[in-house]
Amino acid sequence: MTDTIHITIDRADGSLQRLIGLVERRGFHIDGMMLSDEGSLRRVQMQVRGKDAGRCTDNLGRQIDKLVGATRVGFAAATYGFTTGAAA
Amino acid sequence: MTAATALKPAPTTAPQSGARLLVRTLERLGVEVVFGYPGGAIMPVYDALTGSGLKHILVRHEQGAAFAADAWARTTGKVGVCMATSGPGATNLITGIANAMMDSVPMVCITGNVATHLMGTDAFQEIDILGVTLPIVKHSWVVRDPADIPAVIEEAFHVARSGRPGPVLVDLPKDVQVGMASDDYGFHYPNDADPLDHAAIAEAEQLIRAAERPLIYIGGGVKIAGAVEALRDFAGRTGIPAVSTLNALGSIRTDAPGFLGMLGMHGTRAANEAVQESDLLIVLGARFDDRATGKLNAFAPHAKVVHFDIDPAEIGKLRAVHVPVVGDLKAGIEALTTRVTTAPLAIDPWIIRCTSSATRNAFRYDAPGEGVYAPALLNELSKAAGDRFVAACDVGQHQMWVAQHCEFSRPEAHLTSGGLGAMGYGLPAGLGAKMANPGAHVVTVSGDGSFMMNIQELATLRRYGVALKIVLLDNSSLGLVRQWQELFFEENYSEVDLSDNPDFVAVAQAFGIEAFRISRREEVSAGIQRLLDAPGPCLAHVLIDPKENVWPLVPPGKSNAEMMHGESRFESDM
Repeated sequence: MTDTIHITIDRADGSLQRLIGLVERRGFHIDGMMLSDEGSLRRVQMQVRGKDAGRCTDNLGRQIDKLVGATRVGFAAATYGFTTGAAA
Repeated sequence: MTAATALKPAPTTAPQSGARLLVRTLERLGVEVVFGYPGGAIMPVYDALTGSGLKHILVRHEQGAAFAADAWARTTGKVGVCMATSGPGATNLITGIANAMMDSVPMVCITGNVATHLMGTDAFQEIDILGVTLPIVKHSWVVRDPADIPAVIEEAFHVARSGRPGPVLVDLPKDVQVGMASDDYGFHYPNDADPLDHAAIAEAEQLIRAAERPLIYIGGGVKIAGAVEALRDFAGRTGIPAVSTLNALGSIRTDAPGFLGMLGMHGTRAANEAVQESDLLIVLGARFDDRATGKLNAFAPHAKVVHFDIDPAEIGKLRAVHVPVVGDLKAGIEALTTRVTTAPLAIDPWIIRCTSSATRNAFRYDAPGEGVYAPALLNELSKAAGDRFVAACDVGQHQMWVAQHCEFSRPEAHLTSGGLGAMGYGLPAGLGAKMANPGAHVVTVSGDGSFMMNIQELATLRRYGVALKIVLLDNSSLGLVRQWQELFFEENYSEVDLSDNPDFVAVAQAFGIEAFRISRREEVSAGIQRLLDAPGPCLAHVLIDPKENVWPLVPPGKSNAEMMHGESRFESDM
């Protein structure tokens, strides 16, 4: 299943690379991406899909939240989803 | 930290070079020691270092600088600082940066780079170190204007130590180091303290009251959050038994009643059984690492989970959580203690079951034979060094023996490459720890494989007269790999024999370091005393049985319920 994440990121060295690297490293395909200018920031709209059933987009979002200079847009902060690999 | 967070914007000064601005900012931030190695692209910084208030420790390999800075940070709670030149200097830092990332150690790494107009042209010693290190840093910067240096450095320190700590990298192109600017910009520290989630803590209390077999699962976050006393108070007043990860050992005194030992692959039977039987895990600053959990879906199969952590991304990452409490661990544990101690818990049968299991399954040190039994030596060493003991481990069998058999009264006493498992950590980590804690009995416990990975730092010990003590457990092989080959690869011993090792006593002596050798059990006590009494650096080369294994062992990929136990075999002659 593909989820769409909206993020604003700054223009610092490596910030786009950092975002894309994080998403792929945490086990997601990037199926589509749009980058647009938003003043001093840039806006990224990204379609992501887990590489296996154990990948949870909520958790990816919380990893993105930790990036300095990146902010998820239109997302409730405290939603804790679980990987399907986790025992109940 | 408080000194730094109280910083005010610096007064405007006459223009000075970027390199001087860097040094000045580090001084202002209270940095005492920088571990590093010079080279072409960072020469302006080294020029500015002379006459500064910073003490620079010249290591003999940049990896040693990163590991030493890591240990400095782990034992002081301050941010460790290391620096290197561009290209190979920067890439040599990488293992140390990854190590700090995996174990959440605050570290600022400063690298020189070629001038900005040469970046991207494959210039001499040019590496895109920002790109190379992206997956293993908390954040990183390329500074392109000398005027930005003070603010970037202050932000780097803030990012490194705030929230879940980690390493950061600041890359300084050479033209930025020599360019002139005024020091007139202070970093604005965000107030990012999250309010306590009282509703979640109330839910946690309800789960604890409903539990018959609650268990505390302590992670490295407890130490990082300064929550050791809060944890001890909680465990002491509730009586809830506790297990610990590798990195959290010492958070509760390892000889405290109710402490069941380390869980996981080489954990104690008492700890792993308690986890498997528990109906509620109270997870404090831990991350369900696979070496701790074994086969994940067989881990603590009957337990609900309460998870306290400052990092929201750790909640539910690997294991479903019934009550997440995201925020500062110290405040969270204190609030939980206040709630839970209002009425006693009815868990006495469980406490008795756990503590009697710990007694029944306690490690024994009466293995037969005349050769040195490493677990007994390490146990005796930690007791002889007492509360001043600090172990800086390398990686392998000896590392697991330290975790199993040494007594620790505080978490700063156990330095180990937990997440990354980086051979070569022990010697430079011992160097950094001893420099930060001159009054402590800092002992590097290494193996003959690991020791050779950063053996050059013996020269650094000698150079600065650092009275680090080294126990080199020599089984003439890569023992843990050999053990796995014996158990899981049908005794097909592939590339693990190190019987052509150099004479380690002669090597140490050639570096100007006192060294001696022991090979028999009767020599152990005197050897430990000689080591601890030595006024300067000293190495004890300890010959042990090459066939000795680490027990117990949960085979990789298996449930922690499937622990293998072996017999100590001292029949083979040394």
